[in-house]
Amino acid sequence: MTTLFAVYVLIWPALTLGVLVLICRAVWRDRREARRQRRSLV
Amino acid sequence: MNNAPLHQFSTLTVILLMFAFYGGTYLLTLGIRKKKEDADAFMVSNHRVGFGIGAASMTATWIWAASFYAAATSGYTYGVSGPIHYGLWGALMILFIYPFGRRFRKLAPNAHTLGELIHARHGSSSQLILALSNLLGSIISLMVNFTAAGALVSVLSPLSFQAGVIMAGTGVLLYTLWSGFRASVLTDFAQLVALMAIAVVIIPAVFFAMGGPSELVAGLDNLSAEQANFFSADAVLNQGAPFFVAVLAYAIGNQTISQRLFAVKEEHIKPTFLTATIGYGAIVIGLGMIGLMALTLGVEPLNGDMNNLIPQMVSGYLPPVFIALFFILVIGSLSSTADSDLSALSAIMMADVYGKNIARGKANPERMLLVGRLTMIVATAIGIIFASFSLDILVMLVFVGALWGAIVFPVIASCFWNRVTNAAFTTSVLVAMLVFCVARFEWVPLSGVTGLFFEVLGSIGGGVIIGLMVFGFLGRVAGFTAGGLALVAMLIFATGFLRDYTVLLASLTAYGTSTLVCVVMSLASRERFDFDSIREQVGNYDEHIVDAESVESTKEPVPAPLATQR
Repeated sequence: MTTLFAVYVLIWPALTLGVLVLICRAVWRDRREARRQRRSLV
Repeated sequence: MNNAPLHQFSTLTVILLMFAFYGGTYLLTLGIRKKKEDADAFMVSNHRVGFGIGAASMTATWIWAASFYAAATSGYTYGVSGPIHYGLWGALMILFIYPFGRRFRKLAPNAHTLGELIHARHGSSSQLILALSNLLGSIISLMVNFTAAGALVSVLSPLSFQAGVIMAGTGVLLYTLWSGFRASVLTDFAQLVALMAIAVVIIPAVFFAMGGPSELVAGLDNLSAEQANFFSADAVLNQGAPFFVAVLAYAIGNQTISQRLFAVKEEHIKPTFLTATIGYGAIVIGLGMIGLMALTLGVEPLNGDMNNLIPQMVSGYLPPVFIALFFILVIGSLSSTADSDLSALSAIMMADVYGKNIARGKANPERMLLVGRLTMIVATAIGIIFASFSLDILVMLVFVGALWGAIVFPVIASCFWNRVTNAAFTTSVLVAMLVFCVARFEWVPLSGVTGLFFEVLGSIGGGVIIGLMVFGFLGRVAGFTAGGLALVAMLIFATGFLRDYTVLLASLTAYGTSTLVCVVMSLASRERFDFDSIREQVGNYDEHIVDAESVESTKEPVPAPLATQR
């Protein structure tokens, strides 16, 4: 029960961290491509 | 810690925190500032936003200050399943709109607002109904976010509520005014990174500071049977179901979503919205868990105000630096939504009001930019005034919710079914609003045959919601089947029972009535619409300048249809 509740609470910050990494990597790639094409990121 | 006051920052600390946040955000926008912005970039960043920025912006926009407070309140009120019943449905709003978003984008790849698409499909009356619902929604959102800033500043410092409202309003306007949507999406990324990083730290920090999983499990004894039950019917009916009903309505009625649908590169719509769904759900449910922690510990909200729950927990268990982080978390979330609302409002006034109904196809991009920026200034002033005087917006909120529910079916059907007419769209929305009011304000007693009549309409509404959701992902046959099954299930289980939940009944009635009227009137019409014509009528505005320069004959802008029919 204790483990179950620990997972239930901590899974959300873990997922948040995963999405944060994914978004940062994607923005980094977008930025590199924008620079190569000599245009603004947005 | 029940009676412990919240940690207080000095006036100087709060001013420095606000100055650092808004000053830093403003400096960020200087990097993308152009001396001469163009109207299309100002509204949708030329439809070229990448996956990373798009997903970050969608997530940050959808998370507003109320998300944290309401998720924690839900956790505190409904127990174990509470945070899920807030965060999950909010996340699904993002997910369920993307199949329809892809259709919108296919029909009008160069649109800036959903209203432009509806204008090309039906004309002004339907478009203005949609634009009005978008405008009211964004004004309310702006006001709520400024209110949250005022409340936060007044709770954590000696500064007044009004001072917080004015600082937030001015700060957001300052960095959004020049570059519009481009500034909004870029700053959304920075704000989301801060927001996520803080959430990742704060949730486990509070959890372990309060005693960790063993303390949480030991505290389950403080919960009622319903609160301890993960499948609580109470949580479903009072929190989950009303939210579920609003899933499609919020997404259709919110220009901040459609603006991003039209801004992200077409091939990135799906991953963008999927990522935003997970990101939103994770942050909001995670912070909602702090409400559950407070419940298990037996914490009473300070002054009976549920909005104090998270600050209380952070203040009670963590050192002051975490309270500063929480402060930034809330300011970041409300600012990212407020700047998106300003961009949405400006796009509606630029494209839907000025472009389609005042300039009537002869829009001047420079004048559009002026309209957009003036809209931002006026909207910020309205938001600050409404928030400062704590005006009661409940009635406005109720009507906007009803309007959003009433337009869902007509908007979606108009994009898939060539028989829907302008009269069917407009009449169905107006009739649905009227029937909604009858149910919501109980103008007639909801008992006997009358109650049954509204429950049947509500059941149709339930079938429509399920049917549309399934249709979006699995197509027409599955949609009709699921909708039919849901309707039958609702008729069997909800009649004689739904009338006790007036808010839910009224919302479902709005869906059911608008669908019924729209379908009957459309079936009676002989019109057949050619969807390909939408693409020809909805175009970019700044192409006018190129065309005008190329012919060098006049300084008058060329009408939009000419620019897009090349």
